[in-house]
Amino acid sequence: MTWLDALATELSARGVPARQRARILLELRDHIASEPGCEDRLGDPRMLAVSFADELATARARRCAFGSFGALALTALALIVSQLAIGHAGGYPGFTNGISLVLFVPALLGMFVAPQIALVAGTLAALRAARRRRRPHLPAAEIGLIGRRARVALLAGFGTVTGLALYLADFSQRLPAWYLGLVGGLGAVAAAALYLAFSALRHAQAIVSGSDGAAGDVYDDLPLIAWPWLRSRPWRLGAVGTLIIALIMTLFFAHAEHSLAEGLQRGIAEGLAVAAGFVLLGRAVGLFPAHSEAVTPPGQLAIAAGLIADPEDQLAGDDDRSRAELILRESFGQGRLSLDELTARVSAVHDAETVGQLRDALAGLPPQR
Amino acid sequence: MRNDALNGQLDPLILATVAEEPAHGYAILQRLKQRSAGTFDLAEGTIYPALHRLERDGLLSSSWSMQSGRRRRVYRVTRPGRSALQVRRREWKSFAQAVEAVFG
Repeated sequence: MTWLDALATELSARGVPARQRARILLELRDHIASEPGCEDRLGDPRMLAVSFADELATARARRCAFGSFGALALTALALIVSQLAIGHAGGYPGFTNGISLVLFVPALLGMFVAPQIALVAGTLAALRAARRRRRPHLPAAEIGLIGRRARVALLAGFGTVTGLALYLADFSQRLPAWYLGLVGGLGAVAAAALYLAFSALRHAQAIVSGSDGAAGDVYDDLPLIAWPWLRSRPWRLGAVGTLIIALIMTLFFAHAEHSLAEGLQRGIAEGLAVAAGFVLLGRAVGLFPAHSEAVTPPGQLAIAAGLIADPEDQLAGDDDRSRAELILRESFGQGRLSLDELTARVSAVHDAETVGQLRDALAGLPPQR
Repeated sequence: MRNDALNGQLDPLILATVAEEPAHGYAILQRLKQRSAGTFDLAEGTIYPALHRLERDGLLSSSWSMQSGRRRRVYRVTRPGRSALQVRRREWKSFAQAVEAVFG
């Protein structure tokens, strides 16, 4: 197997898309042709593939977070126009005037609950991506978190446009044609944008990144809330957030409807919805401090689906073994390993047949690249 | 020089090299080695992820061209790339002066 073949194999094992792969291989083929025999100095093809994949996965995750935010902005526009234009369309038709409650209830959930989820998850995704915009590569767990936030946000966005469509369907005989056309058209544009963002996200998540590190949590996004009183206390944060939002809703509707009872009713309903959302989605969107082991990096999903060879089972080469041995010797020099441990681990490295066994022999040592 | 010393400096060094004249990966590497008289000992392949990264960040642009019968990806510095390079140069000069002042 030539150096280039090895690089090609490693790149596809990490899900680097075909176009990028072709370009990388052409450039390196030219490099080797310029000076035959220079492969040794190019470095380990696996490490090179890892750094291409890590950086690509990071850049794509960031782009997807911003793209999702843009698609959600279009969704918000459709929703806002639907509310602003309803006055010109004869006001809200009473919910008893629609075709069926089977349409009305999910429409209401889609138009009021889903946008709030989309706003929170989408903002968190974009915020993390923006805060990390200068990092060439992020830990796999963090890339996974940004992807999950964007995914939750986009799914909630789909929920919103679906709610809007059901609303239009329910009142299709009550609302004027221009209103149905305007809101329906904007909703369709938003749905198309959401679909594009979603498929870009799925492609981005097929790239395997392997950097170690924690995913971070909401305190990394909003350093302002990291007071000792709230720091690492996600339940307290959730309770405070729920109370604040419920209070705002109560005051807003008490003012708008001129009735404290009406306001309290809305405020409590909103508070319950926020608390439910926090419990159900808190882990997925990283509101809880991350347990990085529990987080499945995106690449693992592709491995589980059998799309690519599991790197753990990949056969180790002499290069891998000597690198592992070097790490062990350095760790010994740093006082992390005793002489006995070093000897035991080095012989485990020499006997290792797969990458997974090599990794076991390096267990507990800090990553060195 | 150890690889870690290069950490974080490879990008501006590449920018500086490409800023003189558009070039493909191999030529950039040769120029870098020549200039530094072989001081930088890096896994030479790492120049390509760096080039791609700089292009993604908009500091370089690239296109295919035919040279000596081969397709080559030729890189050139963009306008934002030039200003980023100037900033890095200035930062480096003041850093180097400070180190020199301390080391004597």
